Amino acid sequence: MKSLTLERVSFWYPATEAPALRDVSLEVVQGEVVALVGAVGAGASTVLLAAGDLAPRLTGGRIVGTVSRRDRSAIVLPTPWTQVSGMAFTVWDEVAFGPANLGWPTHEIARQVDRAMAHLELGPLATRDPATLSGGELQRVIIAATLAMDSGLVLFDEPAAELDAEGASALWRLIRALAKGGKAILLATSALDALPDVADRVVWLEDGAVRAVGTPDLLADVAACDAGLGTSVATVWGASGLPGPYPLTVAHAVRQWR
Amino acid sequence: MTGRRLHPFTLLAIAGALPALAWILPAPAGGMWTAAVALLLTLTPGWRPGLVVFRTALLTAAPFWVFLRLLHDVPTTIAIGLRITTMVASFVWLAATLAPDRLVEATVARGWSVTAAYLFAATITAVPTLRDRARRIVEAQRCRGLSPRGSLGNRLRALRALALPLVLSALHDVDERALALETRGMVSGARRTPLAPPPDSAVERAARWALLAACVAALIWRFK
Repeated sequence: MKSLTLERVSFWYPATEAPALRDVSLEVVQGEVVALVGAVGAGASTVLLAAGDLAPRLTGGRIVGTVSRRDRSAIVLPTPWTQVSGMAFTVWDEVAFGPANLGWPTHEIARQVDRAMAHLELGPLATRDPATLSGGELQRVIIAATLAMDSGLVLFDEPAAELDAEGASALWRLIRALAKGGKAILLATSALDALPDVADRVVWLEDGAVRAVGTPDLLADVAACDAGLGTSVATVWGASGLPGPYPLTVAHAVRQWR
Repeated sequence: MTGRRLHPFTLLAIAGALPALAWILPAPAGGMWTAAVALLLTLTPGWRPGLVVFRTALLTAAPFWVFLRLLHDVPTTIAIGLRITTMVASFVWLAATLAPDRLVEATVARGWSVTAAYLFAATITAVPTLRDRARRIVEAQRCRGLSPRGSLGNRLRALRALALPLVLSALHDVDERALALETRGMVSGARRTPLAPPPDSAVERAARWALLAACVAALIWRFK
């Protein structure tokens, strides 16, 4: 079932003439992880803002086209410290901030908060002041806070930016688990090497427009590698002059090599 | 942390009543009493933290005394200075003792809009947040060789190097925070569930009414 549909969406930020998005069409169904990739300024974050009904409602600007959402959406931004409510002195209360704003009964809030914190392994931090956490810990808290709201559509904007390698791996596993649980996930990321295991589909954005859509194999495409959007293995394979098709991952490379 | 145990509305009532009384009661005695009470309150967060709050209140009030003295004679400076000191000390004490989450919980429990409560609480917390950010920017600029000391020209250059990133980063953060809060359900008209509304005893409610009555009585007495 479609959770999000963008039909020929163009968007202009305030006081700009060039559109940040040009005729973007995409859809995300429940249980699917769709990754947006592209160079800086390609429009991936703007797609998330439009998908989350934040652009142009909060950002200002002008939108043309149709954005349809079946579920309530939640967004995780790359900078965790700007997403902290500032109204909570413990991690538990921070995670409960969103559910409380939704007016849920307290027992339901407690259930969702405990579940989200368990997902992110935040139990030991429950009583800590969010202001004392590291960037990575805070990002996990914000992700838990987003999950606790039980939104059907979850938008991630560079969610691993503040995480170490181990934290990032856990995040990618969590995103897969969320999709398995029926969530629709739209993810903007430059962590291209993670996508073969995480994404069901990849949308390649260029100058605000969709250049290509496909499976993660797209990241082993010669054109994608030339644009700096290939996985490390594919890029190295291409740069070393080995014949195509480029392998997507180390496992693919080993198979191809043999 | 005496102040932290009080209901947020009681803290607000005290911080509102003291400046009101300072301006209503005749100078300089009225201002002297209210300023003394307000400065004593700044010491209530405990010995060390209390001294920090006390010093902050004095340092914030000091420039007002200088400007007043430049503009007025000594009796007027004392009269207005004590009133301003009361205002400053009350606000600094309030900022140090009022926990924003408790205020939001208390106001939401009373049926206020969560956005109005947030706006008020965010105002209270803006000062320490901006101060921390300014400190980080100064440290960063020092690493890049900019000295905030020395001649007036040096200091002005340092001020510009502090103010510009401070304002721009604050504006950027406001943008992102607005997006984040919106998606976390903080929208106009939201009916938030109070998670742990602070207890409001009959004694505190009576004390708040008493403070209001004192202000009204003082007003009537002055205009009689």
